[in-house]
Amino acid sequence: MSATRELIARLRRQLGEDDPLPPAAAAERLATPPKRVFPKARSASEYMQQAAEHTTALVGIGQVGTRYATDVVLQFQAELAVAHHAVASLLPDGWREAHGLLPLNTRVDDHASYLMRPDLGRRLHPLSRQLLESEARKDVDVQPILADGLSALACVGSGPRVLEALTRECAGAGLSLGTPVCARFARVWLEDEIGEVVRAKVAIIILGERPGLGTGDGLSAYLVHKPTLGKTDGDRNMISNIHARGLSPEDAAARLTQLAAAMLEQGLSGVELDLAKLGKDLDSRVIRKPDKRQALIEVSK
Amino acid sequence: MILEPIRPTILSVQRIPHAHASVLQSYGADPSVHSSLGLVTCDQDDSTYVALDEATKQSPVDVVFARSFYAGAENASGRLSGEILGVIAAAGPTEIDAGLRALIGCLEHDACFYNGDERGEIAIFPHVVSSIGHYLSKESGLPLESSMAYLVAPPMEATIGVDRALKAANVQVAKLFPPPTETNYGAAWLSGELSECEAAASAFAEAVIEIGRNPRQI
Repeated sequence: MSATRELIARLRRQLGEDDPLPPAAAAERLATPPKRVFPKARSASEYMQQAAEHTTALVGIGQVGTRYATDVVLQFQAELAVAHHAVASLLPDGWREAHGLLPLNTRVDDHASYLMRPDLGRRLHPLSRQLLESEARKDVDVQPILADGLSALACVGSGPRVLEALTRECAGAGLSLGTPVCARFARVWLEDEIGEVVRAKVAIIILGERPGLGTGDGLSAYLVHKPTLGKTDGDRNMISNIHARGLSPEDAAARLTQLAAAMLEQGLSGVELDLAKLGKDLDSRVIRKPDKRQALIEVSK
Repeated sequence: MILEPIRPTILSVQRIPHAHASVLQSYGADPSVHSSLGLVTCDQDDSTYVALDEATKQSPVDVVFARSFYAGAENASGRLSGEILGVIAAAGPTEIDAGLRALIGCLEHDACFYNGDERGEIAIFPHVVSSIGHYLSKESGLPLESSMAYLVAPPMEATIGVDRALKAANVQVAKLFPPPTETNYGAAWLSGELSECEAAASAFAEAVIEIGRNPRQI
């Protein structure tokens, strides 16, 4: 270092100006923010509000400034809590026996591995398979299976009603029904193994569906013709949203019976099944009436 | 930040190994002695004067031409013009190269202006040459190898600073340059013992900083 630079550096230290950090670059001058950054009034487009009448999706919820309105946020949190609660729920011990259902278990031991290992939830436990082989009726037209799926709450809530209605409808349609069974920690594809063991022509699994916002009580039903291990989702037909605000258990049972009868008649299921030959209410192209979102919270105005 | 070095930028360095006699003459060289020229432009004139002098100490070259441009680097005529054109002349290109290397080394590591205020709007040059070479010796009339305080600041600061330096240290005036110089600064060359020159430079710098902080006494 040069003598002069050392001299001046010394002088700088002596003057107390010896800052090892370089000065920060001057900040760009920002525009003064508008006076009212947080408006209190809620605004929403009328068009979106009208559109919201036709869906349960979160549209037309309006905004307050740049935020959601408080009731929207609280409703969302409450709906999410409903869904979480449903996924976490378990079939009560002894419930299956009390309802006269043959209790079956999958290869899953606990709820955590049920969520993490879908493959194990698709196969029967060896003991359950033995039980099924020894106890269940064989060579039936329709094998009904109730299961917890992703919402044991839904299974417990409306499962028995769906099963009861299905039994009635099948009897009316002249279809022979297998021993009603109930599987714990089950996935949809479990119907393949159960149906194969009892040599059913059609297997129907009715199980708690993956909860959505505010719907933890929905059931879905999946049907497959000639159930055997190795069937894919393309071989299945299904109906969903069997819950208080959607399809009633009685309507669902009627549709399931129609579908099962069609499968037996056509010898097919899945994408190959000709739905056009079925009644109009089974035609998926018919636009259903929109669901209504259930208010889970109250906000005093 | 106060007294932070403002590093000079060397804008161009060129050599003419065999310069035309007319060019040699018009730039103050002697065609019977000199044949090669080295030219430099820089954005700090006083740093370059010191660096040109440094070249005469390390290589047998003469500073034949060194002129500041009017109103300084911020009003330069072109991107390479800067604030000064310095020309060294020598018998051959080897000497020119050695001289230019010394000059560049001095600009990069020694001579520079410093910030005289927080905003970087006052530049000062409180430089101490411990031993002057041929160029500054000739220009100042001081004997070779004397110590010199080479002090530059804007007009008001330079005037007060030089007065303060002369009172603070045992130094004599070799030459005073009252404002405006070409670049609108004021300057002084003070001579004395090395330690006295250093004391003078420190007093000068301190005075400039003080004026920057308190420009109006009344």
